[in-house]
Amino acid sequence: MNLDFFIYLVINTLVVVTISPLFVSLTKKVKAKTQGRQGPPIFQTYFILIKLLKKEVIYSPNSSRIMRVTPFVTMAALLVAALFVPLVYLPEPQGGIGNIILFLYLIALARFFMALAGLDAGSSFGGMGSSREMSISAIIEPTTIIVFAALAFVFKTLNIFDMFASTAANGLLETPTLILIAISLFIIIIVETSRIPVDNPETHLELTMIHEGMILEQSGRNLALLELSAAVKMTILMALLINLIVPFGLTTTLTLAGILIALVAFVVKGSILAGLIGLFESSMAKKRFFQLPSLFAMAFFFSTLIIIMAVFS
Amino acid sequence: MIDTAIVIGIIRILFVCIIITAAYIISTRNLLSVVSVYALQSLTLVAIAISLFSLEGSIVLLEIALVTFFSKVIIIPYFIATIQEKIRIKRDIEFHYLNPTSSLLLSMVLMLVIYMALSKIVPETPAHNSLFLFGAVLGISLMLMGMMVTFSRKRAITKVLGFLSMENGVLLFGMFVTELPFIIEFLIIIDLIILVILTAVLSVGIDSTLEDYHKRLHQFHLLKDSEEN
Repeated sequence: MNLDFFIYLVINTLVVVTISPLFVSLTKKVKAKTQGRQGPPIFQTYFILIKLLKKEVIYSPNSSRIMRVTPFVTMAALLVAALFVPLVYLPEPQGGIGNIILFLYLIALARFFMALAGLDAGSSFGGMGSSREMSISAIIEPTTIIVFAALAFVFKTLNIFDMFASTAANGLLETPTLILIAISLFIIIIVETSRIPVDNPETHLELTMIHEGMILEQSGRNLALLELSAAVKMTILMALLINLIVPFGLTTTLTLAGILIALVAFVVKGSILAGLIGLFESSMAKKRFFQLPSLFAMAFFFSTLIIIMAVFS
Repeated sequence: MIDTAIVIGIIRILFVCIIITAAYIISTRNLLSVVSVYALQSLTLVAIAISLFSLEGSIVLLEIALVTFFSKVIIIPYFIATIQEKIRIKRDIEFHYLNPTSSLLLSMVLMLVIYMALSKIVPETPAHNSLFLFGAVLGISLMLMGMMVTFSRKRAITKVLGFLSMENGVLLFGMFVTELPFIIEFLIIIDLIILVILTAVLSVGIDSTLEDYHKRLHQFHLLKDSEEN
């Protein structure tokens, strides 16, 4: 491992961890505005995380070791996954870092432990949350794989770094099929981060909660870690979409000025995307559980179409 | 003249727009937006015709663009929107045979089959490069997807929209593979306008399904007079 790559690892992790709560708050703010409310300040998520870090951790007497390791496993898996998606600085890929198959498995690992922890505490809400999460992921997972396969077909590589390098070199919109990929990826962001047509991130109503149900029994710094990991997951999926569609600003040389510009550009683009997610959420009603496949079918349709186009033309 | 590569790039982007609108028409349950999406689809066709004109310079394409713009982007959507205001129905949630999800999946298979079939036929016609092949595939798929909308929806008004989007497919195919004579294109559009006017006239019963349309006519005493005479 050379020095450049090591610096990349440090920068990327720092940027992901510091920026991701901002996007979560922005989405909340946009939703509040569209509902005619003032909404929390945009740094609210940071305050919540700091508050939670100071609180004591309480475990249910029924819980086992799973409950104790889950926050760390989830956070670790997602931070490693975050290394696969360059946010501001794009070095040469090294080793297995950047492989999309490994990327998918890391996200699945985090989700698996989250579901286990939901079951572990012995609360019925957690169990329901895990059960729903697993049913949804059983449907969304094939779609996710097809979308990433479509990416691999379009760019003729399995490495996210190479994809970004290709889009960054060509500037705006390498091929028109990227519009279709953008729609599919947007749907995946909505589903993976438990947003409104699928799950409501703001409610603790037993009938609807999925993600909130699983982390209901968590407290203190463990809860902080889980909240942060959800934010990190959202940020890396958003970064994937942003750097594929509007890659300008992403720097390939390691200079301070370049990285600062890239950082500002990324924050601006990310804020716009977070706002769009908020608007999308406000314009939709939560779907009935068994109608969810129609949402995934759209993503599936578009990405299969991309594969057809890539194979035949 | 604009650079050929740029025009081809624009046409490809417009193709993608057509795919998106077609998928939306086939899968949505919200009636209000279907009409505007249909108008958008027709507008995309106008844009494709204009870009093709700048590529080939054939004046028929410009005429087609003009006629399509006035009929399908302005007049027909206007009529259908007026009907919708009258019938106060916002959503279409009844389906025959296929629900939106399965029709999306089915249309995917259709596109694949059409692609395979046409890639054997088209190379022997004048339209042999990949752009024209894809235009043809998209045209026929749009036709079949419109047909699927027509037979899978129960509401008469969505059936009409399915038919209209089917005609868009014919137009697209005509632009890319065979050159439809302008007079036929014009006649088709007059047909469509008459169809929509008929729909407007029949709008009393249009919010019902076709099955209980007759019953609805009795209910509003519209059939009584003619039966007595």
